[in-house]
Amino acid sequence: MSDYSIQNEGGTLFPDNDIFHADIDYILRGLGMQPGDADEYLLSLIASLIADCKPMIEARAAFIVYNSPQFNPEDNTITLCSTVLNVGKVVWQSLKHSSELALFSATCGDKIEKYSKQLMKQGQALEGLITDLIGSTMTEAIVDYLHDHIKNIAFMKGIEVSNRYSPGYCNWNVSDQHKLFSLLKNYTSGISLTDSSLMLPVKSVSGIIGLGENLKCIAYKCNICSDKNCIMRIHSTL
Amino acid sequence: MNKEEFLVQISECVELGKVNKAAPFPPAMKGMDGADELTQQALNAGIEPETILNSALIAAMERVGEKFSQKKIFVPQMLISAKAMNAAMEHLKPFFQSGQVQRKGKFIIGTVSGDLHDIGKNLVAMIVEGAGWEVIDLGVDVKADKFLHAIAQHPNAIVGLSALLTTTMTNMKSIAAEIKKAYPLVKIMIGGAPVTEDFRIEIGADHFSRDPQSAVSYLNSLIA
Repeated sequence: MSDYSIQNEGGTLFPDNDIFHADIDYILRGLGMQPGDADEYLLSLIASLIADCKPMIEARAAFIVYNSPQFNPEDNTITLCSTVLNVGKVVWQSLKHSSELALFSATCGDKIEKYSKQLMKQGQALEGLITDLIGSTMTEAIVDYLHDHIKNIAFMKGIEVSNRYSPGYCNWNVSDQHKLFSLLKNYTSGISLTDSSLMLPVKSVSGIIGLGENLKCIAYKCNICSDKNCIMRIHSTL
Repeated sequence: MNKEEFLVQISECVELGKVNKAAPFPPAMKGMDGADELTQQALNAGIEPETILNSALIAAMERVGEKFSQKKIFVPQMLISAKAMNAAMEHLKPFFQSGQVQRKGKFIIGTVSGDLHDIGKNLVAMIVEGAGWEVIDLGVDVKADKFLHAIAQHPNAIVGLSALLTTTMTNMKSIAAEIKKAYPLVKIMIGGAPVTEDFRIEIGADHFSRDPQSAVSYLNSLIA
């Protein structure tokens, strides 16, 4: 089977911390609450921890674009430069009309994660948990920024972008992370992978975004997925 | 203050999450003694540590657990209560060590090999400890050998396996199998974001805990 995909362009972004804002509703949902459930004490604790965490963000995001990906309908895989990604049916269906694929990585660094662990160790479990959630929402904010950047690239070309998808979500096996990272080449944002596909720093995201004429960002179809803790499910139910 | 008053006040502090005098929460109790000070005062007044543990602390955490199950309170309030409970428990530690006060049992917990996530594990450990159990926390990236070694040291303990990734979740299967092979009677509880009841059945574990309170309810059911 021939594979015509080629690496086209890529880049690394070092956005300024000030542009990122924590999603408080996400944090509350992570605490098992609805926005209206939080009292003043909790909201002020969250605000104070966000202020503590903001200077700790070390935002870094990178992407690489591949032209002419090969979509294999028989097994819902995508071939890029001879590397076969087993993305599964959901991701495959969403990306199959892409003329280009942007692979990306993004991280907020490890300082927030370390601060969370330190708080936990000191017996400040609530503060540690909130800090961990702040790290997650800040990381998603960095990926939103990167997604917008790629959207702008697509706009310049007169094409659209898809939703973003990551190994471990929408039934894309997380073990594909190693293949994804090999395709990212020098655009890994300094993230390393463990044998079990865990990204270090932990507050990191990697994934894929489609670019093409007939693509659009749509609500994630969470009813077909069993991951009740998925950050995209949380977004989609807001 | 008499014995009853001490027990009621300590219990209220735990239930409402008043850790110590300096703690700003709950605002209505600002500047008042918390579970920390009152427990020390109760011990100084000659109240038996076992009475403080059972009639004030564990009773309060049971009410907290009930309120959490009924969705009257949420994770933050439960964690603040557990913190108040643990502040009180610090004063009882010498009595646990001397054997004068007994815990409900032992609970070994760890995040399985390949996985470095510890938030969920730590929260479960904290709530379980607050419910009167001794917790042996093996940390993260724990291989089967380490679990087996801990079980050998604490033969009647119940084991908790935690994982956050679908890739590391599969390590639960081999670890659970090794534990059951060496210690068929040891109860295994599993938990973590990707874990489901179906997966528990598949790997032969005894219980799937959706949240810390579910872990406590299961542990308590084993000694009921």
